[in-house]
Amino acid sequence: MSAGVTTAVELKMDWEIQEDPQRTADFQARIDAKGLIEVDDWMPHNYRVGMLRMCEHHANSEIVGALPEGEWITRAPSLLRKLALIAKVQDEVGHGQMLYHVCQDLGKPRDQMLRDLCTGKTKYHNVFNYPAPTWADVAMIQWLVDGAAILNQKSLAEGSYGPYVRTMKRINMEEAFHFKSGEDMVLTLMSGTPRQKKMAQEAFDRWWAPCLMFFGPPDSDSTKTGPFMTWRIKTKTNDTLRQTYVDRFAPAAKALGLIIHVAHKDKDGMVAIKPDGNPDMVVDEQIQFDEESGHWGFTQPDWDEFFRVIKGNGPCNKQRVALRRFSHEQGHWVRQAVMGSAGLPPSAN
Amino acid sequence: MDMITDDLKTPFSQLLLSIADDKLIQGHRASDWTGVAPILEEDIAFSAIAQEEIAHAAELYRLVADLTGGNADALAFGRAAEEYRCASIVELVDEFDWATAIARHFFCDHLDGLRFGRLANSCFTPVAGLAARIQAEESVHIEHVDTWVQHLGHGGDDARGRMQQALDALAPHASMMFEATQGGELVESAGLFPKADADMFDQWLTGLKKITGQAGLTLNVTRPAPDAVGGRRGQRSGDFAELLDEMSEVYRQEPEAAW
Repeated sequence: MSAGVTTAVELKMDWEIQEDPQRTADFQARIDAKGLIEVDDWMPHNYRVGMLRMCEHHANSEIVGALPEGEWITRAPSLLRKLALIAKVQDEVGHGQMLYHVCQDLGKPRDQMLRDLCTGKTKYHNVFNYPAPTWADVAMIQWLVDGAAILNQKSLAEGSYGPYVRTMKRINMEEAFHFKSGEDMVLTLMSGTPRQKKMAQEAFDRWWAPCLMFFGPPDSDSTKTGPFMTWRIKTKTNDTLRQTYVDRFAPAAKALGLIIHVAHKDKDGMVAIKPDGNPDMVVDEQIQFDEESGHWGFTQPDWDEFFRVIKGNGPCNKQRVALRRFSHEQGHWVRQAVMGSAGLPPSAN
Repeated sequence: MDMITDDLKTPFSQLLLSIADDKLIQGHRASDWTGVAPILEEDIAFSAIAQEEIAHAAELYRLVADLTGGNADALAFGRAAEEYRCASIVELVDEFDWATAIARHFFCDHLDGLRFGRLANSCFTPVAGLAARIQAEESVHIEHVDTWVQHLGHGGDDARGRMQQALDALAPHASMMFEATQGGELVESAGLFPKADADMFDQWLTGLKKITGQAGLTLNVTRPAPDAVGGRRGQRSGDFAELLDEMSEVYRQEPEAAW
């Protein structure tokens, strides 16, 4: 199985490295002047590695993000929704493909990236480790998760690495369609029968907290923010993006008739059920508009849960990686027939 | 003409349903590969094909609904299993075997190219116009699937073996696509589905064999017996019940609701 494996030189962060001071200064000056760095330009080693890691994580997220919604293509309830969902998931795969190209140019072969994803060596976005048990979850993913992705990616489109910035702009145009489609799906459910409204509220209760976590841990716990901000790999902090998100979605949810709860989750990512049979959640009383600050308040999500899920112990981590691996292994003979590619090493999961 | 006499409405809608159901179920099966296909570029291509098949089905269901009442979604999701008119080849599970998926498209897309060619000459103008547009898209599907059959045929012993096995397994189902629909002759003689100069089965087989020959593969397909009864008369294969349950799972929760 190992014959013909392309082993790339592993690119790792190295903060001991002594970069050329003049080149480093010129590089920083270009970034500070809002210039773009291109693939053939000189860049500090850690910029390359940081950019590659972020881009690879993003590409992985698009590929794994196709799975929870992809499961619903065969169950979509109308011809229009079925077509739209295939197109939407297809877009995500396309985003993954474009982003892997950006990563390839930064020095890591695609096959290696897909292998690392299947073996658990590299990660994807935490939000895709949550379950999508009903059709309403598909609606919430397109509205809430894609809404979060757009906010995040709009800030990334103001970054410094040219190929990534241009890819972000393209992706954001498509994400805007996904968001509109999600908004329409949620609106349809919330204007529908009592059963549909209940389905939508229950899905919202599952997705609100993971979407608050979408932007990453609080700035006080985020180690990456410093150098990544200086180099404009990131342009806004986690907490800033999170607040912008709440300011946009808290009033939108209320306007649709959805109630924002603080919910306790079980190990399967479902809202826990109390001994009396009711869901273990309360209305989030912090959801209030503060005239003075101009912002909406909200209760912070359960950050212990966030770190638990990110370490691989979320509701669907194993399932998502296993499906990705299944796909990779099933397709092995096909790739070998047309491209002569290699097999997979054992999984870490 | 854009009107159709009452006696032809049922046989013509049976024909259109047989094609629409083939396309819906072929597209449904193809869409199951979205996100998990062997190569990212192919994932995107196969998803595009799935969308086109389902979109073609949707257009045909609208025409049927205009002829016999109802609506496209109810036709797609709300019928009993025995009311579907697809052929068994589109119903079979592919178990995520790429060779099976390709073999299915190979047989189906080549037939679509021919039957939409005939429908493009239909005397019923709403169908003729639609068929001409669909035929143009089908020619891209045919080019795509022919390329894959050749890639796999020339992709080494393993790939060629898998492709041959898939062709052999699907061949009996493929020929049953030619089972006549109820009142099929009436529809042909009325010019709604005019016959081409050559026999459609022969044309289909010649087209397929040209490609398998180039790919180093063999093809054993025989014309179905005139009295053979299958999917066109509502006889469903074993895999269909599960497919229909899954496809209509959400729709059936509230068939009258908007989704």
